[in-house]
Amino acid sequence: MAANISAGAAGENAAPAQDRGQKRRKGSVLRRVRKRFRLFSIRAGMDLPFFFLLLVLLTIGLVMLFSASYPYAYYNMDGDSYHFIRNQAMYAVLGVVIMIAVSYFDYHHFHKLAIPLLLVTYLLLIAMLVLRGSNFVPNLNGAYRWFYIGPINFQPSEVAKFTLILVFSHLISLNYEKMQTFRYGVVPYAIILGSIAGLVILEKHISATVILVFLGVLMMFIGGTRLRWILLPAIIVGVVAFYLLFFTDVFSYAMTRIYGWLFPFDPPEGVDTWQTRQSLMTIGSGGLLGLGLGQSRQKYLYLPEPQNDFIFAVICEELGFIGALIILLLFAMLIWRGVAVSLKAKDKFGMLLGVGIMFQVGLQVVLNLMVVTNMLPNTGISLPFFSYGGTSLIMLLAEMGIVLSISRNSSIEKL
Amino acid sequence: MARGTTVKMWRKTIGLLLVLVVGCFGAIAVNLFRLQILEGEELETRAVNQQTQDTSLSAKRGTIYDCNMKVLATSADVWQVVLDPNFIRKELVPDDASIQDTIAQRLAQILGEDSAEIRQLMEKQTYYAKVADEVETDKKDEILDLKEELGLGNAIQLQPDYKRYYPYGAFASSVLGFTNSEDQGVTGVEASYNEYLSGVPGKLVTAKNARGVDMPFQYEQRVEAQDGYSLVLTIDEVVQHFLEKSVEEAAESCGVRNRACGIVMDVDTGAILAMTVKGDYDPNDPYTITDEADLETINAIPDDEEHAEERAQALRTAQEKQWRNKCISDTYNPGSVFKMLTASMGIEEGIVNENTTFSCGGSYRVADRNIGCWKLAGHGTETFAQGLSNSCNPVFMQLGEQIGATTFFRYFEAFGLTRKTGIDLIGESNSIYYDAEGLGPTELATSSFGQSFRVTPIQMITAAAAVANGGYLVQPHVVSQILDSEGNIVETIETEVKRQVISEDTSARVSAMLQETATTGTAKNGYVAGYRIAGKTGTSEKIDEWNAAGREGEKKYIASYCGYAPADDPQVIMLVFFDEPVPQNGEVFGSAIAGPPFAETMAEILPYLGVEPKYTEEELAKLDISTPGVVGLGVEEAQTKVSNAGLTYKTYGSGSTVVSQIPEQGKSIPKGGTVVLYLDEASTSETVTVPSLTGLSLSQVNARVAQAGLNLSITGAAASGSSAVSDTQDLAEGTEVPPGTVITVNFVELEAVH
Repeated sequence: MAANISAGAAGENAAPAQDRGQKRRKGSVLRRVRKRFRLFSIRAGMDLPFFFLLLVLLTIGLVMLFSASYPYAYYNMDGDSYHFIRNQAMYAVLGVVIMIAVSYFDYHHFHKLAIPLLLVTYLLLIAMLVLRGSNFVPNLNGAYRWFYIGPINFQPSEVAKFTLILVFSHLISLNYEKMQTFRYGVVPYAIILGSIAGLVILEKHISATVILVFLGVLMMFIGGTRLRWILLPAIIVGVVAFYLLFFTDVFSYAMTRIYGWLFPFDPPEGVDTWQTRQSLMTIGSGGLLGLGLGQSRQKYLYLPEPQNDFIFAVICEELGFIGALIILLLFAMLIWRGVAVSLKAKDKFGMLLGVGIMFQVGLQVVLNLMVVTNMLPNTGISLPFFSYGGTSLIMLLAEMGIVLSISRNSSIEKL
Repeated sequence: MARGTTVKMWRKTIGLLLVLVVGCFGAIAVNLFRLQILEGEELETRAVNQQTQDTSLSAKRGTIYDCNMKVLATSADVWQVVLDPNFIRKELVPDDASIQDTIAQRLAQILGEDSAEIRQLMEKQTYYAKVADEVETDKKDEILDLKEELGLGNAIQLQPDYKRYYPYGAFASSVLGFTNSEDQGVTGVEASYNEYLSGVPGKLVTAKNARGVDMPFQYEQRVEAQDGYSLVLTIDEVVQHFLEKSVEEAAESCGVRNRACGIVMDVDTGAILAMTVKGDYDPNDPYTITDEADLETINAIPDDEEHAEERAQALRTAQEKQWRNKCISDTYNPGSVFKMLTASMGIEEGIVNENTTFSCGGSYRVADRNIGCWKLAGHGTETFAQGLSNSCNPVFMQLGEQIGATTFFRYFEAFGLTRKTGIDLIGESNSIYYDAEGLGPTELATSSFGQSFRVTPIQMITAAAAVANGGYLVQPHVVSQILDSEGNIVETIETEVKRQVISEDTSARVSAMLQETATTGTAKNGYVAGYRIAGKTGTSEKIDEWNAAGREGEKKYIASYCGYAPADDPQVIMLVFFDEPVPQNGEVFGSAIAGPPFAETMAEILPYLGVEPKYTEEELAKLDISTPGVVGLGVEEAQTKVSNAGLTYKTYGSGSTVVSQIPEQGKSIPKGGTVVLYLDEASTSETVTVPSLTGLSLSQVNARVAQAGLNLSITGAAASGSSAVSDTQDLAEGTEVPPGTVITVNFVELEAVH
């Protein structure tokens, strides 16, 4: 069935059509025969280990979200302890339906969507600048990350991440042979990455910018851009940042923030490390085995917004070091499996798209956990499958649908 | 070229995947191990500290008893009234403020406070606002009723607390001390035994969320308070009572300017039976100034902002002064009282005996100057015993010279005068003295009669007790036992003998000389018939102050008396001490001021303590007789009975039976006194006029009393010497009283004695 769609889509596809069209024509008789089997064959099914790992994480995520959010909801939502879990569960169900639907959708159609989505993304990001401060783009804690349209709110930077992955996969898979050159291997990506990251940084959204840059560079590296084109700017940026930080006072504010990060329990004046302190106390309270599910004490208004970025601290408190390790392991397995599935994709576009999506998840998880455990300075970044947020969950699950779609065409041994 | 993943891509991807999953996830796992396992406890403690709210549960402070288990200080249940403004606003009356007004008004009514202030407390963003402290049980009950009536739940909370009470008021306050608002001892045994008395406060730990509201789940841990230990003092309430009464009266009558104090101690154990400072305070209300002169000084400072600091300073100074236990904190020149120690040194060293003769020409030349005796004419030739009895300075200067500075200082040290006694009260001062090198001829001469060094009263009485008890320097103490809250003995304070300073023989010989001194000598104002008082007066000049003032102006004195009884088997020792007395008749001698209160107290406490009186023939002759009861008897029978009792009689009216008598049955009158017998009712209304009886000799008083048809009872120094003069009478001159009424006249020895 997937092949069916794939075949149809390939016919309409402009760029790679000739390449694949030839192959299809060559084995068209054979394919027709196979087609009957494919509907029922293992190869046509999605990767079940990935799918179930996903469901397990999502389920644990919902349970922990309920536990972490109910006191906060009780005190802030007029005694409605179920406020967050109700919404999140609804979005999760919707997200899973969308994910399964997307998994049946031949990902090759995204070739056509790449450029239009890039334009939409630019439009959105520019709109964010234009509408900054209005009801659509309100100032939240000094940043302008959220876009409000009617009942829906989302972060265009989330869209930008997917756009980046898609556009880079699209371009790299088309120009793979010429990736060694500066013109084809660096220039287009540098322009796209630079412009998107530049727009996002204007939202004062550092964490998203960091993820965008990492993702972009990572995909260029895998795609075949020469290492020197990646290392050179990295070294220049590093040296300049080092100079500005330690030899000028351009970033004096950043320095005090860094001291606050290094000494959260004894911060310099004017630096608020409440959130970090609370997070560390929450994690420390868990010990080896934790206080037990639902037994967190720090979620009683000490840990700010425990249902959001700092939900992992509550997990550590309730499930202990062992529980936290299990969650880490599940994430690692999911990412590993997702990457493995993508590596066996039958084309470079699928491989790049899948790897990009999985690395996005991985980066997000790593950054979140590093912030929560104070290995990195505090910056707003959510934990995939756990943190509260309807649109981002649906987007995430839709992306997982794309990975599943890739898995249907992947040659990986299905378990 | 493959359509799918190339080997290069595969390698790069796997490389990055390893960095992400193994590198980053590994680092996170290691960091989690650090945070949860290595630093977990520390972080959890921080978390628990912010999550829980500790409420302290007061421990009941221990009781202080006298040696007969009479309560001198105790803690009573009181209550703290606390509001929970958050609860009132959020749970009780989210929209209706009128009940808050009601609560404020009703509470204010019960507590007698301002309702507006209470109303204001309810606006606070808190769950704890204290309205009142130390609320007594009756008011607590009213508040409980109010809670029930209005259905207030947790809006008003009553938290148990304790308040310190001293049932006898100012009684023994220098020993007891007092506690501050935190229930911690400030002075006295309340302070020195604070850690025993205060107990261990308990703790109620409840979980709170970041807004301070109780968490929806139950978390409560209660650690009960451990009540404090109780103290049993060596103080005897009865002895204390008599000492305070005598010292206070004497201090008032001599107008002492710098407070007076008195100590009664068991000579063998060092147990303090009574200790008082007059010019003390009521521990129930320790901040109120009791001294009128100090109050005047404070009130003389205008009560405005400009002088606020000065006024506060004056108040603090006065408070510190009245809290200061003069018995242990102030040093003084003991004066002639010290001669009992110099005498002990002389006898112990074999330099003198009772009969060694000395001569006194009114002064004695030491180094480059003449140092005078109090008797300018001199005492002529006298034995050593007479010299002590006469309190003759030249005798002691000569003795001091013979003892020598080194030996003198060795004894001075051995008598414990160079160290604090270590009494179990706070604020003890140490003495100021010359050591062996510093004792030049002049210093040695003056030191030997108690000048030129300063000791505390407690040091002096402890040294004197060593003279009395056979030479043993004991550790003075005011606490005998520590009891737990169930009354079990936790600790018993045993007698501690520091050393033997002089031999038992020397002790007995000096005691005999001091008994003579207190019977016929300069210290006879302290005499109590039958009780073999050994005593010594002291009148010390505040020479150092006078010198400091440029040897000009008024000389100030300290009058003291130190004695013990019975001389042949000493049991109690007592020291009274009046700092800067201003007696009306201009006499500032120790014997006149300090002797009578000493004798008065001893006369009361020795029978109470079970010391058996032994009367000499002479004393027996003067002994009072208990009046026999003769009412209802026939005239002749009654007359015989009175005569047989060694009394005379006088009859009034006509009749055959006695209808009433004065003095009534059992009243003590002197031998040979008159019993008036009334034979009819009409004559009982007859009265006589009380004559003036002050400033007279004993024989003059006897004559006047007999003439008026009254009976005389004498107290004070009249029993022995002939130089005693009547000082006070208990019935005022001119009063009309029935004939035969007993009038008590006190005699004092006014002969100038140094």
